[in-house]
Amino acid sequence: MKKVFMPLVMVAVLSCIPYVGVAYFGMGYLFGVIIPYLAVLLFVAGFAWRMYDWLSRPVPFCITTTCGQEKSLDWIKHQKLESPATKWQAALRVMMEVLFFRSLFRNTKAELHTGPQLAYASSKWLWMGGLAFHWSLLLIGLRHARFFFIEPPLVVQLIERTDRFFELTLPAFYMTDAIVLAAITYLVARRLRDAKMRIISLQTDFFPLFLIGGIVLAGMSMRYVAKVDVLAIKALMMNLAAFSFDAPGSISPLFYIHLFLASVLAVYFPFSKLMHAGAIFLSPTRNLANNSREKRHVNPWNKKIKFRTYSEYEDDYREKMKKAGLPVEKD
Amino acid sequence: MMHKNTLIGLVIVAMLAAAAYLATGAETRDASPAADSGTADSTVCIYPKEYMQTHHMQVLADWKEHAAHEGPDAFMKTPDGRRFQKDLATCLGCHDNNRFFCFSCHNYANVKPNCWNCHISPQDLP
Repeated sequence: MKKVFMPLVMVAVLSCIPYVGVAYFGMGYLFGVIIPYLAVLLFVAGFAWRMYDWLSRPVPFCITTTCGQEKSLDWIKHQKLESPATKWQAALRVMMEVLFFRSLFRNTKAELHTGPQLAYASSKWLWMGGLAFHWSLLLIGLRHARFFFIEPPLVVQLIERTDRFFELTLPAFYMTDAIVLAAITYLVARRLRDAKMRIISLQTDFFPLFLIGGIVLAGMSMRYVAKVDVLAIKALMMNLAAFSFDAPGSISPLFYIHLFLASVLAVYFPFSKLMHAGAIFLSPTRNLANNSREKRHVNPWNKKIKFRTYSEYEDDYREKMKKAGLPVEKD
Repeated sequence: MMHKNTLIGLVIVAMLAAAAYLATGAETRDASPAADSGTADSTVCIYPKEYMQTHHMQVLADWKEHAAHEGPDAFMKTPDGRRFQKDLATCLGCHDNNRFFCFSCHNYANVKPNCWNCHISPQDLP
């Protein structure tokens, strides 16, 4: 179980670093200004580099995975999402994948029963857990816009108002906070519960989950448990958004734990499996149109073939062919 | 086996009873002193400014709960012996000298508390 505890210990150590640094050595400037800037720089540069790398790879053939009727004769019903024929249909399919995890919805589970008999059944838990996790993270991220804008965009305000719909506690309770915690718990438990999953899970699978869990817990405890000075935090975040290097005011170390773990996540992002966020748009099995019968795909790195047509051949040998009595097309 | 289940059942019943007892707050009920109407000292807040900046919402939530349960008996005693009626009006008694007192920070931090769903906001007063 080393591969489960090592990431846990790493996240614990990572959250101790800013606490010690700020609470005992007054390194608020390092953890509040320098490290966040470096992290964002590395995130943007790393993300762009990874995307550039993938985008510059040639995709010679369309290797679309399909699971429906491709575009054919008029009277055969074409399944536009399962077997997209145009770029727009393919784009729609990618977006359905990104927003609703469409192919995970088809997840199946195999079970061996006595008999022996192998049974397959639909298994939607991972789809539900993943959807809850990703959507909560998206909404939580958007909600954070209130720290970066004087007046956040209307969409964000609507999201925020919906999120605290229950009005349970006095800094209003956000339902996405509970959902993301439940989803992380499920996603960790899923990897631990089943022996097959335990074997194929790696440290790099647990680390991001624990890291995001740590960020969420630090953020939630700032809001619901140990209150922090929101005004100083907003001033710092507005400064960061304006690329200013002003020193932060006095803010509780808990905030620096949250910010530092988020910075670590940003740095870790481009170099890890978290790049699936960008890669999903580039997966050639999803984003290409299944039009190999309509359109000729030529491999761009194939050598130019020098063809020799019959008319050229005849031009070269016409006289000899005539002498030998062979028929020629042109005289 | 039957014996064990009975025991578990008894433990659960005992725990529920204890929880109910704690939830009603019966064990912490002190003889509430007659409400002597001590006028609030309006020069100093109930807690230090730094504490109030970060924790005022918690204080208000506690006050709301106590006031709802105890009504006019809901008083709070500061460490230096001053007594305050647990009421939003106690806060506004001092803090309404600036009608933007609540709103300047809340607007800046984009916080929209639900106080004014029921209470009249100082901004709505003439």
